[in-house]
Amino acid sequence: MRRRLGWGFWLALGWIALVLAGAAAADLLPLPRYDETLAGPPQSGPGPDHPFGTDGLGRDVLSRVVYGARVSLGVGVGAVVLGLLIGAPLGVLAGYRRRATDAVIMGFNDVALAFPALVFALAVVAFAGASLVNVLIVLGVLGVPAWVRLVRGATMVFSEREFVAAARVLGARDRTVLWREIVPNVSLPVASYAFIGMAVAIVAEGSLAFLGLSVQAPTPTWGGLINEGRPLMENAPHVVLVPSVVMFLTVLAFNLLGDRLRALTDVRQSGLEPVRRRRADRLPAQPHHVEEGVLLQVADLRTHFTTVRGTVRAVDGVSFTLERGRTLAIVGESGSGKSMLIRSILGLAPDAGTLRGGSVYLDGQDLTELDGEQLRRILGTRLAAVFQDPMTALNPVRTIGAQVMEPLTVHLGMKRGAARARAAELLASVGIPEPARALRRYPHQLSGGMRQRVTIAMALSCGPDVLFADEPTTALDVTVQDQVLRLIRRQREERHMAVVLVSHDLSVVAEWADEVIVMYAGKVVERGPAATLFERTRMPYTEALLRAVPKLTDPAHHPLRLLPGRPPDLAAPPSGCAFHPRCPYARERCTQEEPPLFQAEVPDHLYACWYPVGTGAGVVETSGISGTAEALKAAETTGADETTDAIEGADSRGR
Amino acid sequence: MILRLVRLLLVLLVVTFLSYLLLNLLPGDPTTQILGLSASEEAREQLRRELSLDDPLFTRYLAWLGELVAGDLGTSYTTSVPVTEALAERLPVTLELLVAAQLVALGLALPIGVAAARRAGRPLDQVLTALSFGLLSTPVFVLGVLLILVFAVKWQVLPATGWTPISLDLGWNLTSVLLPAVTLGCAQTAVYARLLRTDLIATLQEDYITLARARGLSPRRILWRHALRPSAISLVTAVGLNLGALIGGAVIIETLFGLPGVGRLIVDSIFARDYLTVQGGVVLISVGYVLVNFAVDLVYVAVDPRIRRA
Repeated sequence: MRRRLGWGFWLALGWIALVLAGAAAADLLPLPRYDETLAGPPQSGPGPDHPFGTDGLGRDVLSRVVYGARVSLGVGVGAVVLGLLIGAPLGVLAGYRRRATDAVIMGFNDVALAFPALVFALAVVAFAGASLVNVLIVLGVLGVPAWVRLVRGATMVFSEREFVAAARVLGARDRTVLWREIVPNVSLPVASYAFIGMAVAIVAEGSLAFLGLSVQAPTPTWGGLINEGRPLMENAPHVVLVPSVVMFLTVLAFNLLGDRLRALTDVRQSGLEPVRRRRADRLPAQPHHVEEGVLLQVADLRTHFTTVRGTVRAVDGVSFTLERGRTLAIVGESGSGKSMLIRSILGLAPDAGTLRGGSVYLDGQDLTELDGEQLRRILGTRLAAVFQDPMTALNPVRTIGAQVMEPLTVHLGMKRGAARARAAELLASVGIPEPARALRRYPHQLSGGMRQRVTIAMALSCGPDVLFADEPTTALDVTVQDQVLRLIRRQREERHMAVVLVSHDLSVVAEWADEVIVMYAGKVVERGPAATLFERTRMPYTEALLRAVPKLTDPAHHPLRLLPGRPPDLAAPPSGCAFHPRCPYARERCTQEEPPLFQAEVPDHLYACWYPVGTGAGVVETSGISGTAEALKAAETTGADETTDAIEGADSRGR
Repeated sequence: MILRLVRLLLVLLVVTFLSYLLLNLLPGDPTTQILGLSASEEAREQLRRELSLDDPLFTRYLAWLGELVAGDLGTSYTTSVPVTEALAERLPVTLELLVAAQLVALGLALPIGVAAARRAGRPLDQVLTALSFGLLSTPVFVLGVLLILVFAVKWQVLPATGWTPISLDLGWNLTSVLLPAVTLGCAQTAVYARLLRTDLIATLQEDYITLARARGLSPRRILWRHALRPSAISLVTAVGLNLGALIGGAVIIETLFGLPGVGRLIVDSIFARDYLTVQGGVVLISVGYVLVNFAVDLVYVAVDPRIRRA
């Protein structure tokens, strides 16, 4: 992807070109010489003869600044070139050879970095004499450690890339590999740092000159000019201001060039970062009725992100209901929108560039209508969440106790002592041995399984009505997985709460869930009671997921059966049914029309497919017919009781 | 830990050796450089013996190192004051300046970094980021000159030069350290604020922050209790690593503001050709720098429980 350098880059480049040209052509410019005294009246301000005024001896300030640029830029460029000449070969060597060579070079480098550079430069110049050559050498050499580190890092990155490995395998000699493959790739970070290095060297030379320890008078230097102008500050501030501003602009310009170039090498941007919007827009939602006596109702929930590449429909019209004591499982591949659905329900989806729609009702109260404070009260006490990775779910620098006690003191208003006792009880209830001791420990001192127990204890601390568990066992050992799931089920039964379990592991779902939702590209593609859904699968995607489940009969280290094809690009989803490019049964119609949710023969079993599996509809020749009525007809030909019914969210939202 | 100590000793040896080598950089006969052209042959001979100039370099270094450990850095030939004594007299000023500058830098960087991170990408963040970038590009003497111009010359609210020791008058002492400390701290402010912003933005995206929100904790509580502590740890490291830049800046600041610190002593001694004092000052600063970095490593271990027992 091409990225722009921005106008700042060109402005900075223009300024540096101007200063460079002025310094190079100083003798040709219509300026008084820098050392010509009484070129004008002393200490006179800017005027037509002297655009930047004159100094205490009546010398032209502009001329002195222009000539001073020779030393500043000369040292800046020279020191960088010198540092690069010494540092780059060492860095490439260390990064490419690794092992002993690397250890020795980096050992020296670390020691060298342990020096206060400017003080050493000062001392060396003081002892060896203040001259252009000495200043240049000292600043160049002091820059070497930074160059070694940078070039080594860049070399390491590229020498691990495929094309370099390939070249090596093909028997290319090291030198050839270095010149052809590594040097061109390392040059962009080097160029970026070269500009920053020049800024550093110019400031360092300026500092020495300011102290009177750089090139000696009468040759003007910027630092020297600033020092000279100090005593005149009261009567003729321009004498000190002009070189100060010029120096500032030049250093800023070099830093900017380096910064913009470095931004070019920054590969973290994918084009899917949310774009900020002026205000949070709300997406229109389908009309729905609020069901009574239902604990949790999600109605046509949508979360879209505006990105550079287009709108990403991460959650797109999801509806379901959940009652106390039940477990609802949400399954689908990574990137199907499961986790974002959970975050959207809890109001935790990122703010930036987000469009929301639909509602979440808890006992009939719409959570999406609440303000931050009201929502927080409900989040802390009635809804709770457990995430996939227990390694990142706990704050690494706070004790377990501080973290478990926090919701108790914040939401339940417990005193510290009571909260501590309750926290210990909670930890004991999730099976953590020696809970009082565990409270004093830090997360890294516990195993993954223990940490997940802690996060569950925290989630349960205020007695929630619904527990959202986002792949709670994926990051755990198989033996621990079962314990954690048992724990969640026992808590569900004891507390009579509802559980929303996100998983991509269908064997887990089959064992633990009452109802199942299958998601694909942010949408519900099949939904129903667990047993029905697995026995009478209708959606080919669900069928493919079921086939991908590893079996005990698989040989050890057998590669996982993967679904064919790639998950869809959410910024540009396929037309019609989003699954059609990967679907073995896809027909013409699937590529054009998005299937609504149809009602299957078992109550509450819904699927979004024109040619559902196991009904015969898939094999009926239906080319040429289109529309819901035809699908209904096709479905009716296979099952007597089948009533096909497009329900909520089933309008043609496809493209 | 033992590895750290060995490395510390190694670095200290290299640093002192290089400081010692400085004398060998003097062009021509060092005795002439130190005593001047008019010195008698006997005086030179005596100096030659005192500095053991006829011994091999490494022997000389070891002898010098022995005296250094005993606290003897020689006696200045220009002022006849023992170097250690001169340094000890100046050190408190430099230390106060450094501490005050760090306080200014951290005091400004904390709110700036937090404000920018909380509004990442929005106008306030962009303004603060641009400001930091500009501040980073301002040489410390340029900033100092500008601040003097505004506060001392134009508004005349703060003294441009001079120093009042704490022992004399605390109020005046603080007045005299304020402008230098702000000048020196400003550039560090930019460094710290940028670092804190980047780190905080990354921390705020961690799972444990999302989960803290899922537990219904207030944004303020999450920021101060949950996010800031991990980020503050990176800041501690940066404070140590930036000490080198700060010490270099202190030399300039002390000269610019006329503060009687170690940096000023070094610069004055350079012009007075008082080489032993210069050498002593360089040794003091480099050894101090290395030791402080070592201490920061230890603090880092203490603050971050993740590596405490690693």
